[in-house]
Amino acid sequence: MSALPVTPSQTVGPFFHDCLLRDDRCEATVSDEGGAPIRVEGRVVDGDGTGVPDAVIEVSHAAGFFRLGTDDEGRFSLSTARPKRVELDRGTMQAPHLSVAVFARGLMNHLLTRIYFEDEPSTESDPILRLAPESRRATLIARRVSEDSLTPLYRFDIVLQGAGETVFFDFRSPAR
Amino acid sequence: MITTIGEIVRGDAAVFPPYLYEAYRSTLRRAPRLPLVEVPLTASELIRHRLDVSRVTDGDADLTRNAATGGEALGQRIIVTGRVMDEDGLPVPGALLEVWQANAAGRYIHKRDDWPGPLDPNFLGIGRCLTNPAGEYRFLTVRPGAYPWGNHDNAWRPAHIHFSVLAPSWSQRLVTQMYFPDDPLLPLDPILNAVPEGARSRLVAAYAHDVTEPHWALGWRWDIVLAGPRATAFEAREQSAA
Repeated sequence: MSALPVTPSQTVGPFFHDCLLRDDRCEATVSDEGGAPIRVEGRVVDGDGTGVPDAVIEVSHAAGFFRLGTDDEGRFSLSTARPKRVELDRGTMQAPHLSVAVFARGLMNHLLTRIYFEDEPSTESDPILRLAPESRRATLIARRVSEDSLTPLYRFDIVLQGAGETVFFDFRSPAR
Repeated sequence: MITTIGEIVRGDAAVFPPYLYEAYRSTLRRAPRLPLVEVPLTASELIRHRLDVSRVTDGDADLTRNAATGGEALGQRIIVTGRVMDEDGLPVPGALLEVWQANAAGRYIHKRDDWPGPLDPNFLGIGRCLTNPAGEYRFLTVRPGAYPWGNHDNAWRPAHIHFSVLAPSWSQRLVTQMYFPDDPLLPLDPILNAVPEGARSRLVAAYAHDVTEPHWALGWRWDIVLAGPRATAFEAREQSAA
């Protein structure tokens, strides 16, 4: 069968809030596949270093699916369970990570990235992380900023453009 | 439209718009400038989330009345329907479609939309529904108006409805916009024109007289084809594992 013509993407524009971020929005059923609670905070910034106030971030991992808006300064905050390791293929494991999609006015297609964790020993050897140029890998790793609180807090900024630009992914066909 | 077009595209460059499309000014400071890093799809992206859809009601798909004021939205009543499929034409059931749009006068209920178009107290401009087992969706709404924006001198967006498609497989995620075919603003719109020419018409609905209901509403049909891993390979793997 010949493939059907794929529908192109368009920007979310500036007026999505009431629809995509309504309080009773649907979220994936949260399973018990994650670990202890963690929090990740950060900012989405543009090429001038200015916060992006009209972005939506979607986060996916085995323990659930989350959709977050950014505030007037581009800040977001995620509370979730610590992700567990996920198989890459037979015999190879990935380091714990969160899959992230970024939508915003001015983004004609959502951007895909990942959040790894600096205090996780397997991060450094993660096979996907290692596909990114070494000089840019740090943009994919959340820094732990609190030691004292009950819920570990991490910092992860999403830089759309310019100095410290976050690594964004495109996907090849499925791994075998 | 003469403009600078960036080379960074995610997905098929014959289908998807580049991140940098200078004529749409918001792309200038937000488009990434470094190459995307190509990686294999892994179990992380092939996760199938079970959406908590208990809050989705039939009334959510009726934008003419879901403001729940007891009144009906003003404007030309339209039915927008179609199928969500993968590239093999297999239906994508259980996808959550969320839509948002301006009212018939071209105004959004949003703090950042402040042009002097009238608001309609009976129209929120948001709706949602789930695709049925055949991958079909259906909204009842009013035809949105065009509206001005600040992108360039005398800029107007053509009438459009924003669609967010959350398929059970996260790798098939799509956010896009649907347009109407008889709109003179289409060739002037940098957001639509950022899509490669050969794929632009895929964002334009078709008038469907068989969808039109007598003495009630005009019908428009618009199918959505999701990129990403084919459901065939994917379901087969699940079945063999079961």
